[in-house]
Amino acid sequence: MKKTLTALLVSASVAVSAFAAKPVTVKGSDTMVIMNAKLAEAFMNRNPGAQIQVTGGGSGVGLAALINGTTDIAASSRPIKTSEIDKLKARFATRGVGIPIARDGLAVYVNSVNPVQELSLQQLMDIYTGRLTNWKQVGGKDAPIILYSRENSSGTYTYFKDNVLKGKDYSPRAQTLQGTAAVVNAVSKDPNGIGYGGAAYAKGVKFVKVKKDDKSQAYTPSLETVRSGEYPISRYLFLYLRANPSGDAKKFIDWSLTPEGQDIVTKVGYFPVK
Amino acid sequence: MKRVVAITCVTLTLIALPLFADEPAKTDQTPPTATEEQQTPVEQTPAEPTTEEVAGKVDSLTEAFTEMKNVVDGLNRMKLSGYIQAQYVNDETSVNSLSGPTATRNKDQFSIRRGRVKFTYQFAPTSRFVIQPDITTSGVVLKDGYVEFTEPWTPWHHTLTAGQFNWPFGFEIGYSSSDREMPERSRVIRTLFPGERDRGIQFSGLGMADRFNYKVGVVNGTGTAQSFDFNKRKDIVGRVGGSFGPLDLGVSLYRGAELVSVAPAAAGREFDKEREGIDFQYVTPVPGLGVRGEFIRGKQPPATGAAAASALSADVEGYYFYLIQNLGTQHQFVVRYDSYDPDSGNDLPNVIGNAKVGTLGGSYIFHWDANSKVMVAYEKSKTSGFTDPDDNIFTLRYQYKF
Repeated sequence: MKKTLTALLVSASVAVSAFAAKPVTVKGSDTMVIMNAKLAEAFMNRNPGAQIQVTGGGSGVGLAALINGTTDIAASSRPIKTSEIDKLKARFATRGVGIPIARDGLAVYVNSVNPVQELSLQQLMDIYTGRLTNWKQVGGKDAPIILYSRENSSGTYTYFKDNVLKGKDYSPRAQTLQGTAAVVNAVSKDPNGIGYGGAAYAKGVKFVKVKKDDKSQAYTPSLETVRSGEYPISRYLFLYLRANPSGDAKKFIDWSLTPEGQDIVTKVGYFPVK
Repeated sequence: MKRVVAITCVTLTLIALPLFADEPAKTDQTPPTATEEQQTPVEQTPAEPTTEEVAGKVDSLTEAFTEMKNVVDGLNRMKLSGYIQAQYVNDETSVNSLSGPTATRNKDQFSIRRGRVKFTYQFAPTSRFVIQPDITTSGVVLKDGYVEFTEPWTPWHHTLTAGQFNWPFGFEIGYSSSDREMPERSRVIRTLFPGERDRGIQFSGLGMADRFNYKVGVVNGTGTAQSFDFNKRKDIVGRVGGSFGPLDLGVSLYRGAELVSVAPAAAGREFDKEREGIDFQYVTPVPGLGVRGEFIRGKQPPATGAAAASALSADVEGYYFYLIQNLGTQHQFVVRYDSYDPDSGNDLPNVIGNAKVGTLGGSYIFHWDANSKVMVAYEKSKTSGFTDPDDNIFTLRYQYKF
């Protein structure tokens, strides 16, 4: 009897400790993966008992994982789609909870030797849909425009398509690369290249100023221009959960929204929401 | 999988290119002529590759990579998904039988209820190819087979679908069997929409900030059990839906006719085939609790062979309600009540086949991981006005979906 009780107690304590040690998983946007990893690292340093696991894969992948129950938090650089909400409703009887964690100015990069300084949203749309194919058509040198884009599971891809291309298809000449870092790397080596992605990744490339239309002033993404709305391509970066956060997930999100957490957001290159 | 293929292809290219590049070197190993021997130093250090040679190799590599990328991009446009449901059923109506009609055959057995493989090819967002066979021990049946065109000019993204697809009516018809929380659809759906699909064309769209959606189709009206349409007249079916936060509502309509062979009129006679429906899905304030329901009424043509003098389209009605409680991410507890009355107007003979049947069912679903789940379900049916036949069903099902 004693042996049975001991075995039960050991089993129970193992089960409880396993339950307690269960990490909070954050999966999704590649744009957000560095920021989330740094937030998680800093949070875990302050809360030694907590475990936050961060992985990428793209916003679509993260939201799919949220829907099939394999992640606690989905990181998404775009708002959740209606079809995804419908799936959450059907599977978990919830509409999901989205929390903006940072704001991002979606930067447009060209190679540092490219003389083009600014582009309008219309020009960007024409470039990425394949209507404009030579840099001289937008004030640059006589050279073909080489398009670099993201894979279609990326929230950045979707956001750019919805807000810059107005829903139109990307040119079939656009080369799809996995991750903003790969886009930046490709543009930094290609004098005729153009790419887009989070401002935080823009190392070794040149920002192109973006203007709403021909009559507007062009801006680069900065805290002021993104906050004021002057920079025309800015977006929120979200953390999505199935229900209102609780436990370590809540502590992590709450802490990420404190001045300390938002300071990390800023250091990574994004803009605070608070 | 595609990534693995891509990486393998690129790796093979990287391995193969130097091999090919080395091949010309073999020709350099042919014995030199006497003159060359005199001119060639005894110890020869390999010459440094020139910039042009390196550039040439890079170009070759780029070309090979581009070709490979085109292949991978092509594969990326094709999506393969599917699921298989292996199950054991214990049905009270089962009898030991070596032959006989399906209704009296033994049903206590292991089987593959559904084995779906769905192929989708999408070159551009404006068009899509879909084909989905159902492969089971009973054979191979085409479930879905259609082509879709989506217009890119309006926010509604109106879509034209042509081929074989779900009837655009209500909620449960279009709700995938891989997601449904009970083993089979409600009796009213199984009876009025057997097979859940038909052939025709359909227009659909989603707009007004994704709040409203519509689907309207013109179909044969014969379902998919027949390979052709018996009558020249086509049926119209459609649903209009709205999403209001936690509540989704839909109103559906079906208008058509069915050519039925009635005795002794060999050529058959057309009977009205009508359905009107309303459905709702509600996410309750109770965490993890969802409710959904649907009510359908209409007119159902008589069965083949009915006496011509008394044959008529009978008034029918039915409904179902689901209560679905989620506990965590792995456990679902479900209760469903459904009812179907094949003669709500009391026009048909008072026999058990025309009696109203109510079924109370419950299930527990354990979501093992992202792909697999186990369902245990029990359904108890009650036939009104007659001694209740023993027709309760127990189902144990394992599903894997990818």
